[in-house]
Amino acid sequence: MDARTISYGETAIDKLVQWLRARGEPADAETIARQYLKILRDLVVEEKA
Amino acid sequence: MTVNTFNGSPSQQALAAEIFRLMTAQGVLFAADAPIRQTLTNLTDFLASRQQRTPDDVAKEIDAALQANEQVFTREEAEGQVTFVTSRLGAYVPRIEDTSHTFKQRLYEPENPLPIDDISVVVSTSRPALTTVEPVFISDYWQRQAGLMPVLPDGETEDGVEAPMIAADAEETAPVIEVAPVEEAALVEEVAPAVPATSSTVLTLADGLAIDLRRSVDELMAEHGAVLASRLSSAIDNDPLRRIVSFGRQYYLESALASMGKNDMRRIRDEIVEQGEPLLDTTLIANLYYHNPRQSDYEGFRFSLNYRLSREKDFEFVGVQGANLWSTKGLPTIGTKRVKASEMAQLAAYLEEGFDDSLEIQTAESIHETGSANRLLTFFEWEYGILPLDANLKALLPPPLLPDQRSAVLRVESPQHYTTYLVEVRYPTGNRGGWLQGLEEFFHEHLVPGALITLARTPEANVFTISYEEAPPTEDRLLTLDEKKNKLAFANITYYCAVDADQVVNQQRFGRLRNLKSFPMAERRKSEMMLEHVVETLGEPAGTREQPRVRFNVNDVVVGCNVLRPMSRSYILSLITNNDDFEADPANEGVYIFHAEVKDTRSSGDDDEEEDVVETRPMRRGGRYADDDDE
Repeated sequence: MDARTISYGETAIDKLVQWLRARGEPADAETIARQYLKILRDLVVEEKA
Repeated sequence: MTVNTFNGSPSQQALAAEIFRLMTAQGVLFAADAPIRQTLTNLTDFLASRQQRTPDDVAKEIDAALQANEQVFTREEAEGQVTFVTSRLGAYVPRIEDTSHTFKQRLYEPENPLPIDDISVVVSTSRPALTTVEPVFISDYWQRQAGLMPVLPDGETEDGVEAPMIAADAEETAPVIEVAPVEEAALVEEVAPAVPATSSTVLTLADGLAIDLRRSVDELMAEHGAVLASRLSSAIDNDPLRRIVSFGRQYYLESALASMGKNDMRRIRDEIVEQGEPLLDTTLIANLYYHNPRQSDYEGFRFSLNYRLSREKDFEFVGVQGANLWSTKGLPTIGTKRVKASEMAQLAAYLEEGFDDSLEIQTAESIHETGSANRLLTFFEWEYGILPLDANLKALLPPPLLPDQRSAVLRVESPQHYTTYLVEVRYPTGNRGGWLQGLEEFFHEHLVPGALITLARTPEANVFTISYEEAPPTEDRLLTLDEKKNKLAFANITYYCAVDADQVVNQQRFGRLRNLKSFPMAERRKSEMMLEHVVETLGEPAGTREQPRVRFNVNDVVVGCNVLRPMSRSYILSLITNNDDFEADPANEGVYIFHAEVKDTRSSGDDDEEEDVVETRPMRRGGRYADDDDE
């Protein structure tokens, strides 16, 4: 995915929801931001690779 | 449709007409243009049995007759099976969907939309009666109308590509517009970078912050963690689907929240009222729901409870990060009732106006490192058990956890006396200051104005300790306030704590303060008036009857003003500097001269001749002194 098409906080938010569901307990702001960044990074970097 | 309308020989026409009747009878309840299908095999079996002929002959005749009328019967052949299709109208024409305009489009994208103040007007995000949560689609059109998405430039589509129609218009109009070659070249240079040659890995946030996603997550979080978390929190809060909900800094799925009804709310309210003080969420869960922290769903349930209570009007969050305390209506007031919250907020407003010099004796870094803050007690603080929430205390105490949090309740323990006090922290709002209240009993029991106290953190987020340096008994005549007479007076008091000699309000140094008028609390917010009254009471008369002057030391006035209300030294100096009636004494640093108003008779009482004789009696260790005031 081209990073320029990413809308931070909207793109792939469904994947974050899935992760939170699988986790089964609340997460703090930093943890959730870290995971979201990881999701975006996977979309951009790994797809490109 | 008659036999004559069919083609072919008379027998073929008759056969085609009969088959048409058969098939339209079969589809009598179909739509007029709906296809009616029948296989050649079925038709053959039916007619061969009725005409008592061999199926092969009949099949050939049917096939020939219907092929001769292909305007009525469409022949389809699939997997060796021949099928004829017709309709009640006589010929089957595949239906073409007219999507030039649809109700859905008119609903989602009206020509003249009404203004939207709230996206929930467009689509309800409330939970249905059945708890199945379905994703609700809100078109980008409405999200742009509600300002939740940036508006695309005219003619630009979602993909960022110019719409063909606009492009065509541009081509048509291009020759008409005369543009200088230089400008064209500049335009091309500007536009050229907007066309991506290759995919990029740089994510640009709304404020222009560029995040290169090729770097590791740890690196990015270390550098931009706070900004990224903040932006994500805002996006989650603005999500119209509310898939993820938050409480404080915790986030969880809305669909995973435990269900809680009115009965739960009533039980929780009753429990808090019965205990008589705000309760922790963990206490409520243990007492009412018997959940064990080792259960896998414990944290989810705890989040659900906090989230649910935060949305209830009857409950108020009074906790801090790490200790979720809940209060409700009907609990006893914490702290003094002699000072109303609205009055105290105005008295502490100077802190929010930039006159906070409380970090001069101890820096914020020192407070953070040591986890303790020292401060000298003023008369006002001692009398009412109130500490202004200045920078000194802000560096020590936790900030509000929720954005609209009004107050927090802390437990302050005295390790020297094994006593515990509930203290309410009122956070500043706008230009109103904040303060702590609830230490009145401790101050009156063990301390005097001028004492040095130390507040310190404990491992528990909502528990603090208060201590002071103990000292041999000292007897002095100290200022006290008689609430019944609303009068200040000096009384013999024995105290057992170390004090700052300059801050002790005793008769020897501040004898004139007994003439200080104890203004109603609402009047004390008029800081200029309080300052002038204190200066006139405390200062040395200097001047003539026609030109009265009052000379005073600013250090004494700081102590005197803090009898009536909290005022920092910088605030008092600011009032003095900005008032033409004050002038500095060039000969003495820290000494000022006040140009008082001319009065017929100077108010009596600037001496100590009429002071009341107060009988002293042996004090219990740190006793209350109100009974010993002049009577």
